[in-house]
Amino acid sequence: MVKFFQHTFKYEYNWDSVTLAFWLRYPNPFTSHVESVDVIDRYVDPNTGVLRTTRLILKRGVLPKWGKGLMKTPEAYIIEESIVNPKTQTMITLTKNITHARVMQVEEWQTYRVDPNNHEFTQVKTEARIISNLGWGLTDRLEGFGIKKLADSTAKSRKGMSHVLEMIREKQLLRGRGFLTSS
Amino acid sequence: MSQSIGAQCNDLKKEYDTCFNKWYSEKFLKGDLRPECEELFEKYRACVLNAIKQKQIDKLLVEARKDDPFTSTSGK
Repeated sequence: MVKFFQHTFKYEYNWDSVTLAFWLRYPNPFTSHVESVDVIDRYVDPNTGVLRTTRLILKRGVLPKWGKGLMKTPEAYIIEESIVNPKTQTMITLTKNITHARVMQVEEWQTYRVDPNNHEFTQVKTEARIISNLGWGLTDRLEGFGIKKLADSTAKSRKGMSHVLEMIREKQLLRGRGFLTSS
Repeated sequence: MSQSIGAQCNDLKKEYDTCFNKWYSEKFLKGDLRPECEELFEKYRACVLNAIKQKQIDKLLVEARKDDPFTSTSGK
């Protein structure tokens, strides 16, 4: 069984800042369940000039109470793959869980582009797919949970990004005024 | 700044992340693609890969990364 989720959002920050915030988005006050974030691969493709990154994220407490019996450990490892093309100003990211994937696989694609209506803003398109292999009513409960959780977590990650973006803006303002000389 | 999966890698991670963030915003986004933080990255990465092995998720990771998700969608 598969379910889909789609969402478009606009950040009132330029593309450079939003993509930087993507790297800096953890920790933030809205995602206290993120334990660790590590880059495990990263390079610039010499042919395309595209930055290719793989990160491993560890989250805790990602299931509702009634679902805990399904899994041995309450921790979830997430892999985040991304490409950034500075020429076309496009960032594409894919996040998916690698643990508990037999119970439920969530794949979330995000595309960050300059807002065509305002070049100082950034448009983010989110597309997600939830696949569950459990039978009977549990699948529906789990997948329903998955969609609700996804909508919640998309809202939370937006808040987290906005928080980090505000910090970046403040830092740039301070630096511009000579209060900070380096990062 | 976020934590590393291996507590012993936190200092290396901090050094690398600081280098990368500066390079990303001041060089890469401005069109200068020459890498600058590679030495720090190799040290940090070696530490992380070791921690991943200790936690026995290395095989899961290899399995999850079998296919490059961008090879078929790079024109997306």
